[in-house]
Amino acid sequence: MSSLSVSSQHITNELAVSIRGVGLTYTTSIDKKPTLKSRVKSLGRGTKQTRVVRALDDVNLDIQYGHVLGVIGTNGAGKSSLMRCVAGILPPSQGRIEVYGTVSTLLALGVGFNPALSGRDNVLLGGLAAGMSRDEIMDSFDEIAEFSELGDAIDAPMRSYSSGMYARLAFSVAAVVRPDILIIDEALSTGDAKFKEKSLNRVKELRSDDRALILVSHAMQTLRDTCNDVAWLHKGKLVQRGHPDVVIDAYQEFLQLGKSAAIDEDV
Amino acid sequence: MSTPLQVYEPFRAGLPKLGRYWKSLWSRRTFIKEYSKSELREQHFDSVFGQLWLVLNPLLLSGVYFILIVIIGGTTDSARYVHLTASLFLFYLVANSLTGGVKSVTAGQRLILNTAFPRIMLPISAVVIAIFKFLPTLVVFLVIKAVVGSPFTIEMLWAVPILLITVFLALALAIAISCINVYFRDIASFLPYLTRTLLYLSPILYEASALNPSLRIIEILNPLFPILDSWSRALVQGEVPELSSMLQGLGWATGIFFAGTYFFLSREREFAVRL
Repeated sequence: MSSLSVSSQHITNELAVSIRGVGLTYTTSIDKKPTLKSRVKSLGRGTKQTRVVRALDDVNLDIQYGHVLGVIGTNGAGKSSLMRCVAGILPPSQGRIEVYGTVSTLLALGVGFNPALSGRDNVLLGGLAAGMSRDEIMDSFDEIAEFSELGDAIDAPMRSYSSGMYARLAFSVAAVVRPDILIIDEALSTGDAKFKEKSLNRVKELRSDDRALILVSHAMQTLRDTCNDVAWLHKGKLVQRGHPDVVIDAYQEFLQLGKSAAIDEDV
Repeated sequence: MSTPLQVYEPFRAGLPKLGRYWKSLWSRRTFIKEYSKSELREQHFDSVFGQLWLVLNPLLLSGVYFILIVIIGGTTDSARYVHLTASLFLFYLVANSLTGGVKSVTAGQRLILNTAFPRIMLPISAVVIAIFKFLPTLVVFLVIKAVVGSPFTIEMLWAVPILLITVFLALALAIAISCINVYFRDIASFLPYLTRTLLYLSPILYEASALNPSLRIIEILNPLFPILDSWSRALVQGEVPELSSMLQGLGWATGIFFAGTYFFLSREREFAVRL
């Protein structure tokens, strides 16, 4: 298997990411699409156009090489915001994040930004934007195409893709392109049963390498199976971090769902 | 312990570190190349008929405007038509940069939310696409000029620096408008009116010298006015354009570029939460 982005070797248990007292506050517009028209119309009325969101609050977290960290929490807990901070997409408002390795991105989800272009073009452009070279992407392209099992559809415009096909391509990019610190953000939860199993196996394979892996997922059983560590975020705060079984049990108790089928089976 | 490769800390309002920003931008120049290539391919401009359409479109447009001139202004000559095509083609370089640039950031939402990269790549790509659409029309113009029998002179080479100034202005405008569109999404809907107005305020359907002196304010306030005037003088009349006009155009481009780029760079780290 060709591997790419080969960077310096990392020793297991060496620090990969250090998150210190990170807070994230941002202003966002209330309207889905802020327009000049709505701004002019509300002039003089004193209505607010923006609201302040406190997405993260004093989060401390270390991630070591060779470890798999699962991140759980309800919707809006700040999981994706934290991942975007680690990837350098959102600068934190307080605190400091140090990344000891090639910058990981949420590349998987950046795939398909231009639906008019083919899957092939989107993979290439997503990779180039993330700072990879053309040759690096081309070297692993066959592997990506093969893993996604999209066949000829890889050259069709992405607007013709189903959501499952989108997710397959996205996961394939994440699984083949290898930064030191890999973030997989809920990309596992789509696709058919066969592809889910395949991707789960792939995550387990990736785990053995000298890389740090962060899985953001609602698939509790997957997290129990793959992670060394689970961090539970709630309303921007780190509630608990520790052994997967302990944290996930506490989380499920918190949700008052117990070990319901809805949580365990959603892979 | 080794030193971290990346440190992310709170930023103060203002510009990012320009040296590092430039390095990061330069290392991603292939993105700009590939993006414009695939975008043009998607619009079929890599095929013969696609290219033909690219040329046919402005050609038909210049035909329509020529009819307008004949009807309103009475009789006219071939030199007038040469002036019209030359100016219109250059105008469309700027107009296409604006229409491509305005939605470049908002359309790149998926990429912006999930990848860290210099956001300014997106409006730059839009301008590169506009340049590729412009080049074939330049060839068509030269053919028209030859057919009409308009003389070719060495002074026509002045068109090169003028073209560079135009590209600079187009880039400046694309960067500024792409950023404005993040905060006011309806700018994209206003844009057609804006470009149409700019078209009439520029010396395209008329010659700069024919402008009523009482309307000279247009000449001063329209960044495209001195550029299009110099372009026509060099390319159509084969004269040396006035240096003051070129400097005026360059001044406008530089001003808009610095203001727009400052606005863009100081805001771009916020784009991810604004989209």
